Amino acid sequence: MPYHEFECSKCIPERKKHAVIKGPGEDLTSALPLGYLNTIPGTISERGCAYCGAKHVIGTPMKDVIHLSHGPIGCTYDTWQTKRYISDNDNFQIKYTFATDMKEKHVVFGAEKMLKKVMIESFKAFPKIKRMTVYQTCASALIGDDIAAVAQEVMDELPGVDIFVCNSPGFGGPSQSGGHHKINIAWINQKVGQVEPKITSKYVINYVGEYNIQGDQHIMIDFFNRMGVQVLSTFTGNGSYDDLRAMHKAHLNVLECARSAEYICNELRVRYGIPRLDIDGFGFEPLAMSLRKVGLFFGIEDRAQKIIDEETARWKPELDWYKERLRGKKVCLWPGGSKLWHWAHVIHAEMGVDVVSVYTKFGHQGDMEKGISRCEEGALAIDDPNELEGLEAMETLKPDIIFTGKRPGEVAKKIRVPYLNAHAYHNGPWKGWEGWVRFAKDIYNAIYSPVHKLSLLDITKDEIPTDKGFETQRMLSDANLSEDIRNSATLRQYTGKFDCLKDILNKTYPPFDAPEPAVAG
Amino acid sequence: MDETMKERIAQLLDYIMKNCLWQFHSRAWDRKEQNANILTKTTQLLCGEKIELETPADRCYCVDAVCLVEAFRKRCPWLTTLGKDEIRELMKSLHERLDYLTITGSLNLELTDQHY
Repeated sequence: MPYHEFECSKCIPERKKHAVIKGPGEDLTSALPLGYLNTIPGTISERGCAYCGAKHVIGTPMKDVIHLSHGPIGCTYDTWQTKRYISDNDNFQIKYTFATDMKEKHVVFGAEKMLKKVMIESFKAFPKIKRMTVYQTCASALIGDDIAAVAQEVMDELPGVDIFVCNSPGFGGPSQSGGHHKINIAWINQKVGQVEPKITSKYVINYVGEYNIQGDQHIMIDFFNRMGVQVLSTFTGNGSYDDLRAMHKAHLNVLECARSAEYICNELRVRYGIPRLDIDGFGFEPLAMSLRKVGLFFGIEDRAQKIIDEETARWKPELDWYKERLRGKKVCLWPGGSKLWHWAHVIHAEMGVDVVSVYTKFGHQGDMEKGISRCEEGALAIDDPNELEGLEAMETLKPDIIFTGKRPGEVAKKIRVPYLNAHAYHNGPWKGWEGWVRFAKDIYNAIYSPVHKLSLLDITKDEIPTDKGFETQRMLSDANLSEDIRNSATLRQYTGKFDCLKDILNKTYPPFDAPEPAVAG
Repeated sequence: MDETMKERIAQLLDYIMKNCLWQFHSRAWDRKEQNANILTKTTQLLCGEKIELETPADRCYCVDAVCLVEAFRKRCPWLTTLGKDEIRELMKSLHERLDYLTITGSLNLELTDQHY
């Protein structure tokens, strides 16, 4: 096994089995790190907790809901300033955050009464919102508050409201992934099957594992609408609570982030016979293939092909402009979970960058299987890295850029490695053809921004050159390009709008093909 | 197995490994079903045979099989030179190899977990 031992982790020998290098001739039977295990004592992990995975990843993107944490106020920190799962109802779900703000006295005397009071106050403060999710935290789990019983009392007292209870305390698993699992299963057990939806098309899907980061869901819904496919629910980005109670009526589950949402797809498959189709929404080719698969399932692949042809013709010259300038740049692809495999091959194929390392904070071995099989030879794959390992990897591999979360991203900045936020994006959406060009543009801007050259100088000790004048990104990126490419009449930089969502959200679509009438008996 | 066959299987496998998410469901039994259903349908399509589309699950397997056939034909022009028996033999060996990489030889400790 080609394990990689970090110098900085030699004092934690268990860490050795959490990193491998995919060498020549290696395959998944010889190169796979351990994964989804409890963080080893002595290593400071970058992971989140199971409460965070349930609430801040999966629950809170639901848009028409009061999301209430039953715990200390700090548990509800992640909202507007850190999360970018937007919605088309003025971002209610991230603009407002709710917590019971448990204190020591509640731990001693119980917090159920306070919980009920806060739930009722919250509904009164937002009378138009009739749906609520309540999240258990470590504190309320340990004192044993019966949140479900309180929720039932509130539902009895306030007719018309519906409440979902998620018991996923922070300690409920090795990482946020434990919370993904718990909320998936809780949702299907408590809520799916309760609402009969209006079916408006012959072709009906649930779009699962999509969190509408900076509008990704809007982009994908546009494609599905153009194909005449009704998206019954999105689990959960920009998703509606009641739509998600009707998931059982879809014909197909289209699954994007299998890491966080395969559980509900598997359950829908077993309980309701709805098949699961795993897709990649990122990158020209994988996205084209994904839409084509949805089209093929319903026998409307020609509609998918029309979109593929139009979008490719519009955006390919722009993607290629960036590809020429990003070719050979070294990338550490260090996201949380699924983007390690969504992006590993396609950023190499379509943007020309070389992935020198992949890592996952909370992924399972299955995610590493997908990622390692997709990345090129020589890549260093790390499970649940600590900060020092990240630093050592950057010092050894010397990446031109890393794609990661903001905590490790800030660490990278300290050693002058530019980073893009792989979770929340910079100038997203990054899905769709246009989105993929926006991602390429963000990479280009990050790598070639002249500020990085300046930041390498320490004004307290380095000599500051005075013979260098003004530099632009283009001067830096085009220096080694051939004349043909530099002056190409076909390649061009991104020409889309700063806000590419506005037009999409205002679009109207022709009526869908009417659904088949139900057969009596 | 001769060298040409090995090389051809490696070529097909390389495509599957890099592009297909269907092989990586999280449990061994699920991977077994996925591999068997999709590769059986792929073989049938490559041999010009009729495939079953009775259930939604069949249609879903078929979607992945159709896309796999298209990709194989695009990348492997030598496929057109093979007879049906040769295709069946090739696909059988491919299936065995894929099962080995993703199931029987896999290092993924979650594959045999009894719970999702």
